Order: sequence, then structure tokens, then C-alpha cells
Amino acid sequence: MTDREVVIGHKLGLHARASARLVQLAGGFQSRICISRADRSDGTEADARSILSVLLLAAAQGTRVRVAADGRDEQAAVEAVCHYLGGGEGA
Amino acid sequence: MKTVVERRLTGVAASPGVAFGHAVTSWDPEFVTLNYTLEPSEVDSQVESLRRSVDESRQQLVRMQDKLAGAVGGDSTTLIDAHLLILEDRLFVERIVEKIRAERINAEWAIQAVSSHILEAYDRVHDDYLRDRRGDLEDVVRRLLANLRSYHPLTFDSLRYNSILVGRTILPMTLLELKSPRLVGVVTESGGPLSHTAIVARSLNLPAVMGVDEVLPGLMSGELIIVDGDEGVVIRAPSEETLESYRVRVQENAETRRRVERPVGAPCVTRDRISILLGSNINFKEEVDAAVAHECEAVGLYRTEFDFFRDGPKPSEARLAEDYAYVLSHAGDRWVNIRAVDAGMRENRDGWPATGSRGLRFLLENRGLFRTQLRAIYRASVHGHARILLPFVSTPEELSEARRINADVRRRLSERGVPFDESVPMGVMIETPAAAESCDLMASQADFMCLGTNDLIQYLLAVDRTDLANLQLYDPYHPAVLRVLKRVHTLVAPTGKPMVVCGELAADPYSAAVLLGLGFTRLSVNVGAYARIKRMIRSVAVTELREMADGILGMRSRDRIERRVRDTLAKDL
Repeated sequence: MTDREVVIGHKLGLHARASARLVQLAGGFQSRICISRADRSDGTEADARSILSVLLLAAAQGTRVRVAADGRDEQAAVEAVCHYLGGGEGA
Repeated sequence: MKTVVERRLTGVAASPGVAFGHAVTSWDPEFVTLNYTLEPSEVDSQVESLRRSVDESRQQLVRMQDKLAGAVGGDSTTLIDAHLLILEDRLFVERIVEKIRAERINAEWAIQAVSSHILEAYDRVHDDYLRDRRGDLEDVVRRLLANLRSYHPLTFDSLRYNSILVGRTILPMTLLELKSPRLVGVVTESGGPLSHTAIVARSLNLPAVMGVDEVLPGLMSGELIIVDGDEGVVIRAPSEETLESYRVRVQENAETRRRVERPVGAPCVTRDRISILLGSNINFKEEVDAAVAHECEAVGLYRTEFDFFRDGPKPSEARLAEDYAYVLSHAGDRWVNIRAVDAGMRENRDGWPATGSRGLRFLLENRGLFRTQLRAIYRASVHGHARILLPFVSTPEELSEARRINADVRRRLSERGVPFDESVPMGVMIETPAAAESCDLMASQADFMCLGTNDLIQYLLAVDRTDLANLQLYDPYHPAVLRVLKRVHTLVAPTGKPMVVCGELAADPYSAAVLLGLGFTRLSVNVGAYARIKRMIRSVAVTELREMADGILGMRSRDRIERRVRDTLAKDL
């Protein structure tokens, strides 16, 4: 498993449009990708391929999240997702 | 095993009677779904139906997206993207499938269970944006349910158990669509006894409790509940003793109904031999049959809204004419006051009546619709004794304008050689304080009148009858109400034009007796109240009621008024 923390860089945070892109991006990898909020320990973990669970994170701009991937392409997956969440045009 | 404790939830009694059955929760006021457990052999076909509905929903969204991409682009297609992603969300669809298999429940039920769970999670997150996103999920759910419904049309008749419909709001239309012997009771979080849903529940003899706070959270479809429409109580997880006592009451009520409901054959005359005309109010066409079974003398008020908007906002003239022909031919030689649609009166979701443009004002602004309905009534008029009734009239000018349109409709029908009854009279509803105060002026332009006490009291006392917190302000014993009733009678009597009282005031034995005392001799009540009012009429003497009316007109306190009325009638009722 590979994991890394990143601060959400999108102006609106992980809201509908950004979440939709994230889900599409995550769908391109074979690994299972989980996102959780680093600022909370409530165990809320979102499956990056599920729009409903990503929205539930309610992660605004500036929120620190932890991205973890497990699978053959886990390193590339974490890299790409973090780049996108950090505000890069990864999708 | 978890011990379940009986819980009593208090609301407002909206339709009398008691019932017990399995809760069918309505997810949306316009969407009632039947939730039931499956036989093992039915599981696969339910999963298949769900997948079909998901596919179809996806195709509909993609088609919509293609159409929009050309036209507007941008945000609206992003919205559709969000909907599509929800349908592709394994957490969503696969969880529904799992639920169908694990709990052996039908697809509709599983969809609601999974989405409610997610929506509750959304509500726990304090984020305004996210709360708005609920709408995306709700839209998707609605689409899935709609597609499912197209393969399994909704009918309570197929249920194996008696059910009680529970929802935040339930539209009157929904009750009419669902009416079935399997539907035995209604519970809503909003609304009250004067709402249209309550009126329909009473006419269908469905016990109902409304204004029950927080009945939906935690209530599972299928849970056994009791509806006590006499006390205004809903009981969840009833104990065996409670259930038994209600079993007895359900049976007793059924027996009393059989006994009381048919004082047929007996004439509607008071002890001192004064004939009272007692008509029925009906809310949809089939109800005419119940009215006839009670041997009612006329249909004093046919509220046409529910039938009118049955298939959408623009009904066809032919379909309306068929409805009215049904009512008129089934009513036989009884006359039927067909009230033109009181459209502004359809409550919005929160139950607030819109007054700006309703009744005749609405019809004059939507003349096409008005003419369509008039033509339909005339076409049907050859089948019986139709009378046209104009709703919510407030000025004599509006009335003149309506008469002009009516004359024009008749002229055109004659020119086209359409046969119709030339003698169809036209009457007005007196239900605004303005109309009440000027009812002699209205009488000069009308063939008959109907006194609508529900609205009259509401506007006279400046209270909203759907506002539960202030329900006690809606008071038929307010001295102002008695004075207006007296005034109306005094103004109308010399004109010689007949007036029927058709509001709820006529359906309560005590206030109906007050009406008789004030001089009114024609009442029209919902079918559920017919037997009760007939019994009251046969047990009283109008001379005594006149004395009572004179007495209460001089009183200042509503409590004294009510006491005097109850004391006068106690020995009779």
C-alpha cells in the first residue's frame, strides 16, 4: 500500500465538479484508492471511485486529506490523485 | 432479541376511525412505493428489474445530455454527469443489490433504504453545499423508482396485508390513485383536518392522523402500526394488549358503520315535520356511487379538481365530458352542482393555499381551461341534471364576466349543433367575506348559491386552516361567524334563490344544528358524515333550534355559545 497526504487546492474543494473528475480519474487505475480526512479521526473513508462517498468527505479548499492506494499501480494512482487534489490539472 | 417498546406519537385527528396495518412509507409526496418482502424465487427477478431500471435511467440521462450539449452546454451537463456517476457508483447500486438479496426485499424498498441511509449521512455533515447535493441523489432515486414503476404499476390490491400510508406530505391525488381495500389508514407529518388530503381520507372512510412530528425517522416500511383517527394518535410497536384492544375497536366500528350507515328509506325531516334537503359532497367521480348508496337527495358539491388534473395540467374536453357523464348518469334524477375547478386552491407542498389567483379569478385568467370545462359539462348535461357552480367569487363584475363566457360557450355549441341541456343553471359559491356581505347582489345574477363555510371562516377570522399551531383560532363558534351566517341568510331569503350550505360546518352535528336554527334548510356534507347528520336532523325540532340560535346570537363568549349548543342538543344526539 502507498499513501500520502495532500492539501485540497481546488477553490470549491471536493464539490460536485471536482469530485466527478476525481471519480473518473480514479476509475482509470486498477488499485483501490481511499481518501480520508487527515484532520479527523472519525474513520470516514471515501472510495475514490464512489461519487457519493467522496462528496461525503465535504472537503473544502485547504483541507488536508490522506490518499491511500492498494494494488498493482498504487504508486502511479497516489501520484495522480494527489496531483489532481493539490490543484493540478491531472484529470 | 431486542425489546421493542410501544411508542405513542401524538398528532391531530384528521379522519375518524381506527386501523392497524403495515407501514408503507412514502418517500416523496408524489411517489408512493410498495415495499414488501420477497419469496426466495422472486429475488433474481427483482435484481434484474433494478438493473434494467439503472440501464434505462442511464440511457435517459445520456440522451438528455446529448440534447443539452448542443443547446446550452456547460453547467447543465455537469449536473447530468453527477447523476450518471451516481448510477455508476458501485457503492450505491451494488449496495442496493446486496440489500435485495440479503434482506429479501423488493427493489423499491432497497433503493429507499440505501438512499435514506446516504441522505442521513449527508444531513449529519454540516455543509450547505453538500446539503444541496441531496437533490442530485433524490433526483436519481426518483428516476429509478419511476422506471421501476413502469414495469410494476402500483397497486395496493396485490398486497398480502393491510397497509397504512405514512409520509411527510401525501397529496389528495395520491390517495385517490391508491384507493384499495388494502389501504386502511393514513399518517402525515404535515397537514391537518381541514386539508384536502383529510377531506379525501374522510370521504374514503380512511382513518387519518396528521401533523405527527417526526413519525418518519426510524420508521421501517413493513412495521406494524396503529392509526387512531378518533384520538389523533399513532402507535408504533404496539404491545399485544394494545393491539388486541384496537382489534376490538376496528370490529366494533365496522359493525356500527353497517348499522348507522344505512338509515335509508327514512325521510330527512325534523321532529316538527320540516323537510331538510341533505345532499352529498363528492371529490371524485366514483364517489357519486357512495352518495347514491346513502340515498342522498342531491350532490350539493362536486369538487372537480382531483378528476380534472388526474392526467396532468391540460385535460381533454372529451375525457372531462366522460367524467361528468358518469357522475350525472349515476346520480340519476338528483341534481349535481359541478363546481368549476378551484385551481389556485390546490395546495403547494407545504400546504399553504395561494389566494392571489384562485377560484373564479384563476378561471378568468385561464379562459381556455374554463371554456374547456364548461363545454365538457354541457356535453355531459344530456345525461342528467347538471348545475354549474362558480368557485371563490368575490365581485359581481367577475360573475358578470363568467356569465358572458358561459353564454358564449352555449352559443358556439348551438352553432355547431352539439346537443346540450339548455336549462343548466349557474350558481355561485359564497365563500369570501366580500361575497357573503354582497350575496344579495350575487343572487340577482345567479340561479342558486352554495355557502362554503371552510373558506368563509378562514378569511373572516384571518386564520390559516392548515396552520396546526393555531387551529383553535379556526372557530365556528366565534360570534362573528354566527353573525355572518345570520346576515347571509337574511340577505338571501328575500331573493328566493336557493342556498345550500356545503362546508364542514354542515358536517358536524352541532354546528349543522346551528345552521338549521339560523334558517338554512339545505345542507350538503361529505359521504362519511351523511348518516350522522341525517340522524341529527331526524332528532331535532327546528322551533327549538331557532330559539337556541336567537340565544347564542346575543352571546359574547364563544365558550358560552358552544355550551348552549351542546346543552340544547345533548338530549337528542
